[in-house]
Order: sequence, then C-alpha cells, then structure tokens
Amino acid sequence: MKLSELMPGETGVVTKVAGTGAIHRRLLAMGILPGTVIRVARLSPFGDPIEYEIRGVFISLRKSEADYVEIDRIIPLHMVPAGEKVRVMILDGGVNFIRNMGSIGISPGKIIEILSPCCPMRVRTALGEHYVGKGEAYRIYVR
Amino acid sequence: MLIALAGNPNTGKSSLFNAITGAHQHIGNWPGVTVEKKEGTITFEGKKITIVDLPGTYSLTAYSLEEVITRNFILEEEPDVVVDVIDATNLERNLYLLTELMELTDRIVIALNMFDEAKKKYKLDVKKMRELLGLPVIPTVAIKDKGIKDLLHACLHGYFKPKKLSYPEDVENRVEKLQRMMENLDLKNKRWHAIKLLENDSEVRKKFANLGRKDILHEAEHLRHEIEDIYGDDIETLIASFRYSFAHGLFHEVAEPLNVGGVTITDMIDHVVAHKIFGLPIFLVVMYLSFEFVFVVAAPFQDAIDLIFNGKTLASGQHINGLIDISYHWMASFMPNWASSFINYGMLRGLAAVLTFTPIIMFLFLILSILEDSGYLARVAFLMDKLMRKIGLEGRGIISLMLGFGCNVPAVMSTRALKNERERELSIALNPLIPCGARIQVFAFITAIFFKHNQALVMWSLILLSMGVVALLGYVYSKTIFKGKAEPFVMELPPYRVPSLKGIFIHMWEKSEGFLRKAGTIIVGAAGIIWLLAALPWGVQFGGENSYIGQIAHFLAPVGAPFGITPESIIALFFGFFAKEVVIDVFYVLYGTKEALFAAMTPLQAYSLLLFILFYTPCVATLATIYNETKSTKFVLFVILEGFALALFFSFLAYTIGSFLGVGG
Repeated sequence: MKLSELMPGETGVVTKVAGTGAIHRRLLAMGILPGTVIRVARLSPFGDPIEYEIRGVFISLRKSEADYVEIDRIIPLHMVPAGEKVRVMILDGGVNFIRNMGSIGISPGKIIEILSPCCPMRVRTALGEHYVGKGEAYRIYVR
Repeated sequence: MLIALAGNPNTGKSSLFNAITGAHQHIGNWPGVTVEKKEGTITFEGKKITIVDLPGTYSLTAYSLEEVITRNFILEEEPDVVVDVIDATNLERNLYLLTELMELTDRIVIALNMFDEAKKKYKLDVKKMRELLGLPVIPTVAIKDKGIKDLLHACLHGYFKPKKLSYPEDVENRVEKLQRMMENLDLKNKRWHAIKLLENDSEVRKKFANLGRKDILHEAEHLRHEIEDIYGDDIETLIASFRYSFAHGLFHEVAEPLNVGGVTITDMIDHVVAHKIFGLPIFLVVMYLSFEFVFVVAAPFQDAIDLIFNGKTLASGQHINGLIDISYHWMASFMPNWASSFINYGMLRGLAAVLTFTPIIMFLFLILSILEDSGYLARVAFLMDKLMRKIGLEGRGIISLMLGFGCNVPAVMSTRALKNERERELSIALNPLIPCGARIQVFAFITAIFFKHNQALVMWSLILLSMGVVALLGYVYSKTIFKGKAEPFVMELPPYRVPSLKGIFIHMWEKSEGFLRKAGTIIVGAAGIIWLLAALPWGVQFGGENSYIGQIAHFLAPVGAPFGITPESIIALFFGFFAKEVVIDVFYVLYGTKEALFAAMTPLQAYSLLLFILFYTPCVATLATIYNETKSTKFVLFVILEGFALALFFSFLAYTIGSFLGVGG
C-alpha cells in the first residue's frame, strides 16, 4: 500500500521508493529507504501535508510525495494485545540488539505469541517463554 | 587558513558560525545566485582563519542549488578543514551527509552540536565515534558558546585518518574501473567523480561531456545498469541505502537510546499547536500578537524619529521646528535658500523617512527570528501548506503576505524564508498589492470624510478586494509567468527550542543595517528627485500648480478624467509614491480643510481614488527593497506596471459602473 494511505498512529515499513529526480533523491536523503520504519504522527488541518516520524525525526510530506513511497503496514510489539500470534518483521536497533533478541527466538520471520501485554511483556517463542522490556518492545515490529 | 561549515538545516550551524565569528561577519550572496553566503574572519592561536558558512543541505546531489554550491566549494576551493555540524539529537540522519562529505574530502572535523540535549536522549560514546571514523569529533553547544575553542583547536591540530565508507565489492570494483579510466584526466578526487557518475549525477555527467570523454560516460551507464540488475533496485536507492546502513551501523555503535517509547516535549506541544482543528486558530492568535507587538512597540520609536527630524505642526497652526528645520535655517545663513532647502527638505527628509522604517524592521525581524529559531515557522508551513499551494506558495508564504498589512518593506525582506527562488519572486510580486499600514491610514482619512455612514463597509471592501486580487493573481501567476517545476517539499519539523538571544540580535542587526545601507541610498536619492520636481522652476509654491509636479498633473488631467481623478489628487498620488501617508498631508496643503476636500469630489470619485491608491505603484522604500532582494530592474518595473494596471482597471471599472448606475454621483 501507499504511505499516504496509512492513518495517524499507524506504522509501516518502506518497501519501495518510486519517483524520479529531485523528489526521489530528497526522500532518500531524509532516510526514507526500503526497510525504514515510518509512523504517521498527525494530519495537518486540510489533511495534506502529513507529519511522519522517521528515525526519530519528524518530517512533513505532501500527499503527492508520500504517494511515491510503498509500504507494508506493521505494528510495534508493545501495542499487540495478549493472546495474539504475530510474525516478527523488523528489529529496529544495532547489531547487539538484533543478537540479543535472536538469542531468545525473536528475529525477522519468526512467529511469537503474546502471553501478557506490555510492559514488560511475556512472549512465547520457539525458544520458550521470555520477558520483553519496554525499551525492546518499542523497537520490535510485527504483523 | 580556510574553514567551511557544512551540515543539515536546523543543526545550529548558524549559531555555531555566530559563536565562532561573533560580530566579525560579512553577508553577501554566492556568485550569480540569491543564496546567502556568510563569511567571517577571526584570529585563533595567532593564525588568521576565514570561516565560510555553506548552505544547509541534507545531501550533495545535483538537484538543488544549495547542494551544488556546497560540493563545488569543497571540491574547488579546497578548504583546509570542513566542519560537519551535526545535530547530535538526530545523529543517524545527520551522519548521512557525513558519508557524502567523507567522499569529497579527508579533512573533516565533526561538531556534535546540541550535545547537552543529546545526552538526555542517548548515551553517546564520543571516543568510540572518533576511533570508528578516524576523525576529530568535538561535542559543542553553540548557543552556549561551549566547545568552540576545542573545535578550532581540532581544526588546527586535528588528526585526519578517515576510515571511509566502502561499498559492497560489486560496486567498489566498478568505481575502481571508472577511476582507472580517469587516470590521464586532470581531476581532483577521482573516486568522488566515479561514484557520482555511477549515481547518474547530471552536473558531473556534464563535466565529462565537456571534457569530451563520452567513453567514460558510456562505461558508467553500462556499469550502473549492471549494479541495478545485481541488486534489483534503482541506483539512487541503492547508493543511499549503502550510505544509510553505514550511518545506521555507526549510530548504533556509538549511541544507546535512553527512555525508549517516551513522549517528547515537542510532540506534546505539537499535539496542540499543530492540531488538525486548534492549529489554525492558534496560528492566527500568534500572528495577531506578533503583529501587535511589532507595530505597537515600533510606533513610539517611529514617532520619536519623526518628531526629532520633522518637528510638529500644532493644531493652532504653530510649527515646532525639528532638526531638519533647524538645519535648514542654519545652512541658509551661508548658502542659497534653494540649496539649503534641497539638502534639508529633499535629501535629509528622505533620510528621516528611511530611519522611521528601521524600528519596524528591527522589531519585525526580532519576532521572525523568534518564530523561526523556536521551530514554530516550520509548523506554520505545515498548517498552511494546502491553502497557500493554491496560490503557488508554500505554507510559509502566508507570513510575508500578512506582514504586508503592516509594511511592505519588511514583508518583502521576509520572503527570504522561502527557500524556493520561484516562490520567493511570486511572493514579492504579490506583496505590494496588500495595503500596508500607511495606505490603510489614507483610506481611513478619506473614508471618514466621504463615507461617514458606512466607513467600515468601504474599508472592508478595499481590503477584501486586495485579498481577492492577491489570491487570483497568485493562482494565475503560478500557472503562467511564475510557473516552475514541482520541487520537493520534504520538510523537517525540528524540535522546539528556546532561541538564542545572540542569534536573534545578530539577525536583527544584519537586516536593519542592510536596509539602511542599500535601500536607504535609493530612497534618499528618490526623495531628492521628488523635491526637485516639486520645487522647480525656482520660485513657485512647493508642489503647487506651477511646479513641475503641478504641470505634470495638469498635463495628466485628461487621463485622470475617465477615472474621476482630479488634478489635485494626481499631485497627491505623486507624493504618495514617496510615502503613502504623505497623501493626507498633500490634501491638507492643497485644500486647507476637510470640508473643502469633501466639496471637491463626489463620493464616487473618492471611491475611484481609493481603488487607485490601493494598487498603484508601491512606495519608493518598497521598490528599493524589491530591487535589493531581486537585483533586477526588470522586476521592479514589472511590479510598478502591475500596480498601475490594476489601479487603472479597478478605478475605471468602479467609476464607469458607478456613473452608469448613477450611484455616489
């Protein structure tokens, strides 16, 4: 789906940045790249432009510009209620974070089950039951 | 020694520049363009250092003027050190530009600015960052003058052994292949050129075409397609991804986020200020308060300057001498009367007029700096974008248009906030059509005499008409003469910050000084010319029937007739060109009393005159400022013609329809 179709509060992961020339390059320079996590912060009074949060920065994009960005909708783990089974999509962190999460069975593509809600969260992975803290749950994105 | 400051917008680069150079700075334009160039010279450890502030950029592509200026400066002027000013609170995105800078030069010092704020957001390991980059990394807090000495010290004695970003092997091979083809060329930094060629950079491609090296261009294109095939995406996305993964990796090596998932103060403020519904009313209140502040606070200063120079005529008709009168009498004691009159009532009065503008300009830029430096201006752009885009401007365009209701001079100066050249010009072309405070004063004076019972209605009709014309012309211009290619409006909404006083005062001083020096000369000159027209031939009543102005008015009388405009009004309009409020004085001089003025025109003629005053040429000060901002005589002529065309059209229309219907006659 297109980035412009995402609703306020929702999160997506970029799959493709289309367009050509200046607009294409500017989107890329702002860090909107395949794999980037992007959240809709709010709409302006006329619904256009839209404010997004990307890599901890707030950016305003016109709808016509957000149309160039293809995304998949994802959910930060802390927002998932207990009882749901979800697939891990993205770990938004450095090498250590990815390694630590991998050691308890949380890595992209893996299915996990939420036992108790955030935070700390109790989850069941292929490697057993584990606790996930707030600092971690906010950086794990699932679908 | 030459140091260049580079960095993203909103990183405090200007504050850092101010902190380093203090008052020793010079502001001009980059050659051939209106992008501002700031330079300063200081002495540090006995060495003379020139510091150049490069435009703020997010990357170094060939798509924007600022980016081309930045990279060409580094490539061609070869500064001894490039300081990359990084917003430490926004490290990852800022490191992207660093990856590009590192491809251009080895001699980079990193200023980790706003380090105090960043420490609240992450645990930062500066030492590790130094090691990983092989470059000096200096924490700074520019608005508190912290870290400046360390930064300069690093520029002089730093150790530069950069560990560069290397691309995946399939890309590196191809970069090297292109580099080898450039062996015989006299080019600085071949690696950078090779990467840019792979990236399909239009400027660099042009360079090679001019060198007659089609073979390299062909090879680059071939290699580019190979890379795109291997990775299955376009080259721009790929190169940006490689650079970002370097930035991302480095960021996570040196920064450990604290307080994940917390809500920031900025987000809380924006929850109200940038709100879908509350945002607009809050903006209007902010504008209203800013406006009140500027014009209410500036007014006594303006009155004082006026009183000191021009004195005051009391209701009893007695005149208290001002400096100009005193100087006139003094000079008249040793030179002919006409010469003293020319110097004092011509030139010196012009100078006084220039000075009365300065309080508005100073206070206005005080407010504008606060709005900009605090981060609110970016929210205005966000809130108003959709609305203003209809008339071809981005959201920030609303500010200069609204300021026009106060005074067109600072309003035109404020268009600098618009980054897009085309939008700036459009905004300048529309601005004089907004009735300034002086014109509104004239409207109030005339409507009070002619439209006692529906003064407010007539006033509003003029103001709404001007807004309608601005909207319509903005729409038409943006589709025709000011048409431009769509430029990206990807804008950062920076965190709210308390602006630094130093930055605000430097900005205020720059603007006022620039106005006094540049526009001032033109205004004083024009005042002299108007004096000559009103005073010659020698011996006539000043501005009277027999003066050149009177003669011109007489000559133009038949032209004024179809609009119901009297010869006396033409004289008043002439003086109004100098400063709009003078129209009132001229009417007093020519008619003596309000009753006589009321008897001289029908209400319809008065309305036609009001429409004429609304649009006809902007005052000399505004034109001088427009010239100053555009450096184009053609543009100034365009604005004058535009004004006259609208003035003639609307007065003719009103007078003809009015006469036909028999109203107001």
